[in-house]
Amino acid sequence: MRYSFYPGCSMEGTAVPYRKSVEPVAEALGMELEEIPDWNCCGATVASGVVGDYTQQVVAARNFALAEPRGLDVLVACSSCFLSLALTNKRFQEDADFHRAANEALAAAGLKYNGTLKVRQILEVMVNDVGIERIRARVKRPLTGLKVAGYVGCQTMRTLPWEFDDPEHPVVLDRIIEALGATATPFPMKTRCCGSSQTLPAEKILMGASREILESAAEGGAQMIVTPCPMCQLNLDSYQGRMNQLLQTSFAMPVLFFTQLMAIAFDLPPESWALKYNIVSPFQALAPLGINR
Amino acid sequence: MADCQVSPEAVRYDPAFSREVYALENGPQIKKCMQCGMCAVSCATRASMNYSPRRLFNLIKQGKKETVMKSNTMWMCTTCLMCKVRCPRGIAIVDVMHDLKNLAIDQGYVTHPQAAFYQAFWKEIWSRGRVFEGGVTARYFLKRGILGEIKTILSMKDVGMDMLRHSRMPLLPPRKIKGLGDLHKIIEKARSQRKEVS
Repeated sequence: MRYSFYPGCSMEGTAVPYRKSVEPVAEALGMELEEIPDWNCCGATVASGVVGDYTQQVVAARNFALAEPRGLDVLVACSSCFLSLALTNKRFQEDADFHRAANEALAAAGLKYNGTLKVRQILEVMVNDVGIERIRARVKRPLTGLKVAGYVGCQTMRTLPWEFDDPEHPVVLDRIIEALGATATPFPMKTRCCGSSQTLPAEKILMGASREILESAAEGGAQMIVTPCPMCQLNLDSYQGRMNQLLQTSFAMPVLFFTQLMAIAFDLPPESWALKYNIVSPFQALAPLGINR
Repeated sequence: MADCQVSPEAVRYDPAFSREVYALENGPQIKKCMQCGMCAVSCATRASMNYSPRRLFNLIKQGKKETVMKSNTMWMCTTCLMCKVRCPRGIAIVDVMHDLKNLAIDQGYVTHPQAAFYQAFWKEIWSRGRVFEGGVTARYFLKRGILGEIKTILSMKDVGMDMLRHSRMPLLPPRKIKGLGDLHKIIEKARSQRKEVS
């Protein structure tokens, strides 16, 4: 199981705990990740609003041109990166006019992409390549009794709807949670939008959406939320204090990357749990498992 | 529901604007809209929008340029893809929203704060090849005007401090990509190709 790895910009900044946990967890599962050399920003869901879909997709395609010589599937963990990269790749493979024009643009830097790669979302790789059985077999510290809400987020499942799991009510993350020995709690808002990048321009949207998501998780009895999305993790984790101030709520719901939970269950070295980066402390929820600060 | 209101204005259709929009990358898809409203009921941010996507598409068909371009609808879209997944006609509504944002920025309809955020984000890609969140934030506030945004900045300081305390907000950007010059050449070529087509 070898992959070209596209970390994405968040992993160099706000999503540090994702990066610190995803690599050791992948290694523990027998995956080899090779970072795409000198990768560039995929444009997320933003660049096309300034320069249009075509230019954004050409920018994203530079990464494929750099990765193609190795011939490995491109593993993407960030949902926004997955959205941009997977759709670009699909267009490369299905739209001959786009393929030709985009290669003319790449040729300005002496690059070319033949459209031979596959772009893979990390949850999909976890179930299809690694397999739930293998994840379960790797667990050394079963998370028995821990109640976890699996927040898949919006873009992960809906980028290529019906290519794996359900775009509105997916179960893939719940399966992973259960494989770790924890209990996946009922969570109707598991693919509701968190407010995304409205943080700066319209934080009310963010707080309204995040409030509903946190309440939904709490109603289901969850002690923590896990997610594969950097934007979701940041919004839900960093805004609870502000929401408690402004909305008179009393949220104290830890929000972890699902790979952090895997690192704990695999009993990997605590650096790979990367819990010091979590703003809402997860230690109360983890105490019954013998994990303390 | 505001969605049900019928405007008392005499109806006038102006095809010039609708043609302009249909000529955008995803514009032709708008013609497939049958006004069913599935997008409106599926939209995560509908409550904050001046017009639901359904109404916006109708306004485009009527040629109401100023109403469409000044509306906040496309800027409130968070690309959660629910409308795209559910649209019974298979319209990539979020991609149309990208086009409308792009058109608004090109034509100077940039008063909504999201426009400044988008421009800040793109500037970051252009100058580093990767996006440094601190850089986007700084560029956003500069673009909006520090004085006007001072209340927002102060009100967000607790969130910022929490992030700093947990090492979630590096103060220095990562290095620029090595191929930044190459990336510029690719972008410039792509943008010139786009102009040729339109």
